[in-house]
Amino acid sequence: MPQKTPNKLEAYLEEISHFLSGRAEREEVLSEIRSHILEKAAAEHGATDDTAALDKAIAAYGAPRRVAERYAEDRPIIAPAYKRYLFRYTSILFAVHMLLTGLAVAFKKSFIVFPFLYMPEMGVLDALMYVPTAFLADLGAVALVLYFITQSGKDVKLPWPKIGADLDEIKPMDGFFKSRLFTAIQLAAMLAVTSFAVFLYVRFQTIFFVFHSYGNFRDPMPLFTPGAGRSLSLIVIAMFGASVATLLVKLVTRSRWVDVASNIVSLALIGLILRQPFDDLFAVPVAERLLPLIRQGITFVLLFIAVMITIDLIKNLVALGRKKLR
Amino acid sequence: MTDTEIGSLETEMNRGFLHILVLALLEKDMYGYAMVKHIEALGYKVEENTLYPLLRRLERNGWIASKWDVTEDRPRKYYSITAAGRDMRAALLEVWRNQARVLDKIMKENTDAAKNA
Repeated sequence: MPQKTPNKLEAYLEEISHFLSGRAEREEVLSEIRSHILEKAAAEHGATDDTAALDKAIAAYGAPRRVAERYAEDRPIIAPAYKRYLFRYTSILFAVHMLLTGLAVAFKKSFIVFPFLYMPEMGVLDALMYVPTAFLADLGAVALVLYFITQSGKDVKLPWPKIGADLDEIKPMDGFFKSRLFTAIQLAAMLAVTSFAVFLYVRFQTIFFVFHSYGNFRDPMPLFTPGAGRSLSLIVIAMFGASVATLLVKLVTRSRWVDVASNIVSLALIGLILRQPFDDLFAVPVAERLLPLIRQGITFVLLFIAVMITIDLIKNLVALGRKKLR
Repeated sequence: MTDTEIGSLETEMNRGFLHILVLALLEKDMYGYAMVKHIEALGYKVEENTLYPLLRRLERNGWIASKWDVTEDRPRKYYSITAAGRDMRAALLEVWRNQARVLDKIMKENTDAAKNA
């Protein structure tokens, strides 16, 4: 007659079962382990009702998670050959996602790419809050596709264009002084530009001017109306200031977190510019029919810059992620 | 060269070897614990928690069969080799012998080269 299994052993098996959950052969696996441990406790330690004997046999069998993992097949979640595509495809998907987000913000429209994407009409702050969610969703979607490809066991050749820099080939900057010297030159240039912008703003409350002809005389005039000129000038000065701060910090540390912070601040400031109303923007006379074209042109340029910054942000995050995983 | 490095490589080498070992051992019906002890008595060691998953894989491939014996106090699961398992064992032994032959030959070449140097 089969003997009653001690509680201690049942608790151990229950733990293994937790890590084996979902497997059809779970009960059979647990029966094999139960049988082995009872056999060992009796043969090597004298009795199966002795707690110390069972403890020794259980300890020798190993930690529950390790035991359960031995039953797992060796097939990885994502095959090594496809791992590099995880960040490659995520970066492309995320860039498209951000472009659509930018368009949704700029044109105050919602986008639906059923069943993959729903982009509601949103403000700049909503969009900024949406960025991490979008990244995780894109990463998850790509991971899921790669998971299915891996599990199918088929040799699928994934496409990747042979243009541009490969994220896998990002190399650290070489030479401590060489890279610092370059940063110092950039810093000096940015400081000069920022100081000049601040000087203009303090003097004229704007940094945007246009040269307008009055007879034989060419005189600089503010490009934008006073309110718009002030807001836009302050945002652009803030962007210059952020660059100066970034370069200053980069003199001390080369951490990519500095670049990440700089990217996020720049994206936020571009978002603020996009939020500015384009009505009554120009202080100088502009032909009515040209206004929509100018608006669209400005929006397109800003969105293009935002996408470039976003790609840089992804590169920095990927580099950070790879460093952490190493 | 550290013990960890040797251990890691030994684990990799063991994967194939354990297949042959178990298939060779199961010419006679045996239960898991008896197999562990038998292997230990021969001067080798197999981790208990490695043996049972291996047995499951071998059974899934049809190379061994199993049946529970519940007549005693403690139920025991007995394993035995199948005809397909014997064929597989012969093939694996051939691979293993060939590997050993190649390695022996290379080591002999090295020894000869060292003598002539």
